[in-house]
Amino acid sequence: MPLSRDSQLAAEIKALVAGGERDAARDRYSDLVARQQRRAVRIAYQYLRDAHDADEAVQDAFVKVFTHITSYREDLPFEVWFTRILVNACLDLRKSRARRLRWAVPMSSATDTTPTDPPTRDQSPEQRLVSTERAKEIATAVESLPGRQRTVFTLCHVAEQTTAEVSQALGLSEATVRVHLFRAVRKLRRLLERE
Amino acid sequence: MTSRHLSDDRLIELCMLEAPSMAEQQHLGSCCQCDARRARLLALLDDVSDVAAAQADAAFPPERLARQQARILSHLQHDGRPARVITFPAAHAYEPIASRRRPGTRWIAAAAVAGLVIGLVAGRFGHDYSLGRPGPVRAIVARAAGAPEFRAAGSSGTIREASTDLSDEEFLSEIEIALDSPTAAALQPLDDLTPLPWEVR
Repeated sequence: MPLSRDSQLAAEIKALVAGGERDAARDRYSDLVARQQRRAVRIAYQYLRDAHDADEAVQDAFVKVFTHITSYREDLPFEVWFTRILVNACLDLRKSRARRLRWAVPMSSATDTTPTDPPTRDQSPEQRLVSTERAKEIATAVESLPGRQRTVFTLCHVAEQTTAEVSQALGLSEATVRVHLFRAVRKLRRLLERE
Repeated sequence: MTSRHLSDDRLIELCMLEAPSMAEQQHLGSCCQCDARRARLLALLDDVSDVAAAQADAAFPPERLARQQARILSHLQHDGRPARVITFPAAHAYEPIASRRRPGTRWIAAAAVAGLVIGLVAGRFGHDYSLGRPGPVRAIVARAAGAPEFRAAGSSGTIREASTDLSDEEFLSEIEIALDSPTAAALQPLDDLTPLPWEVR
């Protein structure tokens, strides 16, 4: 099976680091970051539902990937390896957020939700879509999924990974991944489908 | 297989994971019901991914992504470099630790240790001593249990007499009864705030 462009890039960076050419490796790595960044923030944001946390998780994942690039196995698609690291970064952040919240006194009931800005004329198309009623319904429905189901659904659907790749990324069996995916979709359909 | 409708799970697989087999394609071509179900599910999934992408893209406009990338690369640039050694002004040059210590501090340390030892001995002695006699709390409980007004209340079950010879089993069941009382519910927020032993590392 031919390697993806990102996997080839990762293999090149690994070779450069192994050869002691760290500066050149960093230059090549900026290309890889640019190629994976959008996908990474979508996964992290969908998973964490908080822009600051998603930002932190993505940065953490990219730094870890470069730091451990010598342990990258070229027989695995880079996307799978990277996603695994990203999901772990999200999980770590979630744990630390839960610890923080346990000791924090809530200031208001709306602190955990994304602030809804009043519509302005210079809203981007994304902002306009997000502010529609249907989009809110969808976001609420996705948010209501149990953690595992949401992770699997996000990875399969938003990150467009196969169940085999998700099973590798999460360390679950493929059958378990499928069960979580089916449950997630059934629940979303129940909540969102209009007859 | 083709004459029967496609199951929900199979439809999900066809929409998200796999291409339909030849027989399934034929079935979808001839069964309006299954085809409509598939179309609805596909539309729903498209909506979900559009909204997910739009939400993330709204939260991460290109400028924010550029800043993020710059931070990642700057972090990597500093990573692996030896730490910079900051030289201290000449006035604070190295001096042997012993010479900097003032003689008075030794006395303070000795007094602290002595205080600790005395405290431990006194505590131990006081504890042993109190075991042989009824302590103030026990005396109060005993007096209260003996008082007529408490005896009357105790018979109605609102106040139970404190007993020192409870078995572990009885003691735990007393706790369970107390937890079931309505006043215990008021303490629930405090309990929620308190970390569980296995959460504290």
